Amino acid sequence: MSDVAFALRGVNAAVTRDFALRDVSFELPSGYVMGLIGANGAGKTTAIRCLLGMRAVNGGEIELLGHPVPGPVALRQEVGVVLDHTYLVGDWRLAQVERALRPFYERWDGDRYRGLLDEFGLDMRAKVKDLSRGMAIKLMIAVALSHHARLMVFDEPTSGLDPVARDELVGIIGDFLLDARHSVLFSTHITTDLDRVGDYLTLIHGGRVVRTGTKDDILDAYRIVRAGPDDLNHLVGIELIGVRRTPTVTQALVRTDEADLLAADVLVEPPTLEEIAVHIGAPAGRRKETV
Amino acid sequence: MNPVARMVMLNLRTVAPYRNQGLAAFVVMALLFVNRPVVLVPTLVLLFTTTIAAYPFNVGDKASLQTLYATLPLARRAVLFGHYAWALACYLGTVITGTVVALLLAWLQSVPFGGRTIATVLSLSWGMFAVNVAVQFPLFIRYGYTRINLLSTVLPLAFVATLVIRLHLSLASVHSWLPWTWPVGAALIVASAAASGALDRRRRQPTTTAGVNRLSRQVSA
Repeated sequence: MSDVAFALRGVNAAVTRDFALRDVSFELPSGYVMGLIGANGAGKTTAIRCLLGMRAVNGGEIELLGHPVPGPVALRQEVGVVLDHTYLVGDWRLAQVERALRPFYERWDGDRYRGLLDEFGLDMRAKVKDLSRGMAIKLMIAVALSHHARLMVFDEPTSGLDPVARDELVGIIGDFLLDARHSVLFSTHITTDLDRVGDYLTLIHGGRVVRTGTKDDILDAYRIVRAGPDDLNHLVGIELIGVRRTPTVTQALVRTDEADLLAADVLVEPPTLEEIAVHIGAPAGRRKETV
Repeated sequence: MNPVARMVMLNLRTVAPYRNQGLAAFVVMALLFVNRPVVLVPTLVLLFTTTIAAYPFNVGDKASLQTLYATLPLARRAVLFGHYAWALACYLGTVITGTVVALLLAWLQSVPFGGRTIATVLSLSWGMFAVNVAVQFPLFIRYGYTRINLLSTVLPLAFVATLVIRLHLSLASVHSWLPWTWPVGAALIVASAAASGALDRRRRQPTTTAGVNRLSRQVSA
């Protein structure tokens, strides 16, 4: 069996007349966490839907836990899915959620489900529609963890959560990863979520993968440069990514190997994940400038 | 339990929270039928059946249950067939209940209500039910309940009206064409399930590759 938790290879998927995934490739070895980073509308959810077989693709290959996608239905026993919205009947009580879903999973663990709800402070008698967003996400996590999935896929689970709930979620992911066979794909536009748990990152923008690799490699691959308003105007062969100009400073992201070409009076610093995401996700008009 | 049976159970669980509203609606409808001929009882039940059969689509639209179905270890075919099996189970359950209630009322009111009348009522109710499901379900699956609800109510009636007019069906000749409602109804449901499968596959197809190619050309340019 492949030691790859999942892989997308050259995936194309047209979504609308104006948006498509184009030649998307990234993969995660088993036992790690990948953060899928991109602005709203970058293609994160579409990539996840393709990976899960929820959306057909126009081309390319997808592998999930050693199987091609679309693959056997039983593969879904191994995958826990937490999306940015609940997809359960609003009038179900949490006890009814278990009764509804249990018949579908061979390894459903009712004790674990009830234990997780208890741990998360969720009442079995509560209705799904009455849960706050944070609680609803916790419910979906409890469901995903109760059938002993090997791969957890989170799509924007932290958007709209308060810092405490986000911290709890990171802790839950950490616990899940105590088993070396477990892997996590975590899409977000809140990059600080990945500072603690992300092993691999994929940056996606406009339906294309901008860069994929280990977190350290990606952090090493870019530099933030800051200079006076006109100091970055007369450079040759350097691509400025997501240039931001104010009356007093110009800031941009550059590739590390190109940063060496900059003059000594240009401030060059290692970027944070957030800075990389912000500059790469900048609107097309100011995303790239080759000077 | 096989996957289709699991889907039927999921539909039961989907509508279960609304049983009280359903019962209330049933009581109101029953009150409207008080002192009406006993033969109308199965008709009342039939009205109720079509609503229950379609209710998982209604709840599913509101609760994004298509996403749930896609994440469950459940083949798409089982989801589709499960909806039809659920509808048939609803029909069986309600028609048996309706017939028993009608027999009971007839006995209490000393009204004749026997074999031939029951056969007529059941055949008609099956025909109406089959047309309803056969027309509505593919539309629900392709377009969703909310978008197509009004049209899906009108279309089965239009279909039946067209059949009555084109085939010159009349109450006078009811016993000549009535037995045909069973096989024709069953055939309609089978054809509808096949159509649902095809429409569902089309719905899940990605946009044409032209979109990818055009966008790639724009990027290259």
